[in-house]
Amino acid sequence: MKAITRFFSSVKLAIVLLIILTLASILGTLIPQGRSAVEYTARYGQISNLLIRMEITHLYHSWWFLGLLFLISINTIVCTLTRLKSKLKKTLRPKLEFESKMLNSLKVSQTFTINKGIEKTKERLKELLISNRYRTQEKTLKGRVFLMARKHVFGIFGSDVVHIGLLIIFLGGILSGLLGFKSNLQLTEGQVLKIPKADFSLKLDKFETEYYESGRVRDWKSTLTVIENKKEIFTKKIEVNHPLSYKGFMFYQSRWGWDWENPSVNIVIKDQGDTSNGINITLKIGDKAILRDKNLEIHALHFVPDFVLNERNQVTTRSLQPNNPAVFIKAIKDGKELFSGWIFSKFPDFVQQNSQKEKGLSIRFADFKTEQYSGIQMTKDPGASCIWAGCIILMFGLFVAFYWTSREIKILMEEKKGSTYVIIGGLAPKNRESFRVEFDKITKKLRR
Amino acid sequence: MNESTLFLISFILYIFSAFFYFAFLFSKKIKFAKRGYWAAAIGLAIHTAALVLRIFESGHAPFTNMYESLSFFGWSAVFAYVFVEAKFKLRKAGPYYMLIVIALMALASSPLMPKEATPLVPALQSYWLWLHVSITLIGEAFFCIAFVTSIMYLKAISKEKRGIDSESGLTSEKLDSISYRVIAIGFPLFTLGGLVFGMVWAYKAWGSYWSWDPKEVWTLITWFIFALYLHTRLVMGWKGKKSAIVAIIGFLAALFTYFGVNYLLTGLHSYA
Ligand code: HEM
Repeated sequence: MKAITRFFSSVKLAIVLLIILTLASILGTLIPQGRSAVEYTARYGQISNLLIRMEITHLYHSWWFLGLLFLISINTIVCTLTRLKSKLKKTLRPKLEFESKMLNSLKVSQTFTINKGIEKTKERLKELLISNRYRTQEKTLKGRVFLMARKHVFGIFGSDVVHIGLLIIFLGGILSGLLGFKSNLQLTEGQVLKIPKADFSLKLDKFETEYYESGRVRDWKSTLTVIENKKEIFTKKIEVNHPLSYKGFMFYQSRWGWDWENPSVNIVIKDQGDTSNGINITLKIGDKAILRDKNLEIHALHFVPDFVLNERNQVTTRSLQPNNPAVFIKAIKDGKELFSGWIFSKFPDFVQQNSQKEKGLSIRFADFKTEQYSGIQMTKDPGASCIWAGCIILMFGLFVAFYWTSREIKILMEEKKGSTYVIIGGLAPKNRESFRVEFDKITKKLRR
Repeated sequence: MNESTLFLISFILYIFSAFFYFAFLFSKKIKFAKRGYWAAAIGLAIHTAALVLRIFESGHAPFTNMYESLSFFGWSAVFAYVFVEAKFKLRKAGPYYMLIVIALMALASSPLMPKEATPLVPALQSYWLWLHVSITLIGEAFFCIAFVTSIMYLKAISKEKRGIDSESGLTSEKLDSISYRVIAIGFPLFTLGGLVFGMVWAYKAWGSYWSWDPKEVWTLITWFIFALYLHTRLVMGWKGKKSAIVAIIGFLAALFTYFGVNYLLTGLHSYA
């Protein structure tokens, strides 16, 4: 047990771990993370198996990387605690006896004699130290006076506060990893969606896209209402960078898109040579329209927003943008199939098969309509508040460690024939220059 | 006066500053160092005006393309220098440091960098972005000073070994201590800007505070290296040469985080 404690309290271990973590992190940025096995084989050939087996392909979540993080946490805890004990003891019960040799060995020290009694010298010295915001403690032993003055003592605990902050951040990371989750929601205007794993629903009241003058997207905004037990709780407009938060769930504006599941198409039917506007029908995909006077049935069977033929000559969509909307139409006249094929809104004259014109009929795909949906990312991250608390503690600790630096002055006085022999030494581990200035000021005033 | 004229004037003043500092280096006359300092300080004031004008013209923080970002990095570098020089009098670092500033400004004004302010994509419209980028770059500027003083340290010890004393009071020991002191300023700033505000912004924009994106990881790597610097120095008593080398590597990592990641690796941050 003791050996384990000693192992984990060593700063050398921390340094080794930090170096390994640094190198591993670099490796993770050089090898693309989280791709498919095929891609790795194409890229790295033989060694790709090794990479996958060593989990270098998802390095930051691999057992060994997490293990290193775990080790460094244990290291930090043990190291901080073992040092804290002796640090506290030194601060709360400082040793008030010291030898002149020890004072002389301090970074700044002076020895001199003052033509005053020891009591007067001590009072003057204390007065000077207190006016420089030092706190003093003293002890008299066998005619010798020991005086110790310190300021910003808390400064030496700055690094402990840093490490505690760091551990809280680690803890937050663990909580996020274990309990946090993410999911993508799609809502169209007016839709109410029950939120998975929660006891409330969200309704999308309105979805807007704002543009710059140049036509680029400036922002997306969704007006959401939280509904709980059939009651509307509140409404908030969210946009990128301004999420909605309720009961630990966060809702982010993340995407938008067209809902291609349920478009409706607008089709114009004319007899050949007809100069009127023709007949305008609107129907949903899967529905049919019946024109009794013509004895005609129009079926809208399929829709794609961005028509393309793949290498096997099958129809698919190239993207989810309406770059080349097409609808598959079947026209039946007198019970016989008159026409079936794709028609295009961007290319009204182009018909893929069974040219309709020969049959004396023109079917044109005039327009389509579908709703935009708002893509909302939902997250629940119970670790996040832990992270923010840890960050605040970490920053506070850093500030204390670097800018609230402790200073210590020790004085040994002895009376010799009515005058006082003074040895004074001081220590400021992190701010030596300005400490030296202060120290010189104090001793100069004392000797005057 | 428009923004690009002001930028150019400040650039010229920085060149003057470097010029004076080199004059100081060769002539050893303090008056040249003083002129160098003032040229940098006035340049900084004008550069500040240029950045403020840019903010008003574009209506957003000046960090959305490489030109703006480099210009701000140059500004931070001079800002940190003017501040540190007033406190530590490291005049002899002036000529080398101002060369780095000039390199940043030259890169910013090179024709390869598109200058026009582009409208912001939605994710970048956040005041956390201002805080994140500005404080990170200011922190890195202090690392840059430590980089220069560390290199000067390495030069100084090899000179001192050959028995040549440094004339201007900037001894190797002093350089070593200045490196530590500026890292002590830069480290909390870098932690706050790069890691803390970066996490807050990511949380606001993407819903997760950390996603192991290459730029994030390189920020962490830089941070690890400076944590190594502090620990080896404070706990293991490393000083001088070894410390200087760690500080140099740390700044190079920061530089790679800033430039390399955008060009060589891809990730969420790749629009910057
Ligand atoms: C990346 C993680 C870490 C960071 C950012 C960090 C940060 C710091 C900082 C800022 C200081 C104060 C330095 C100064 O005042 O100049 C410090 C001191 C110290 N750290 Fe860490 N630390 C980390 C990990 C660790 C670990 C894992 C250990 C475990 C052994 C450790 C042990 C120490 C010790 C012993 C001190 C000196 C404490 C003192 O007596 O003041 N640190 N650390």
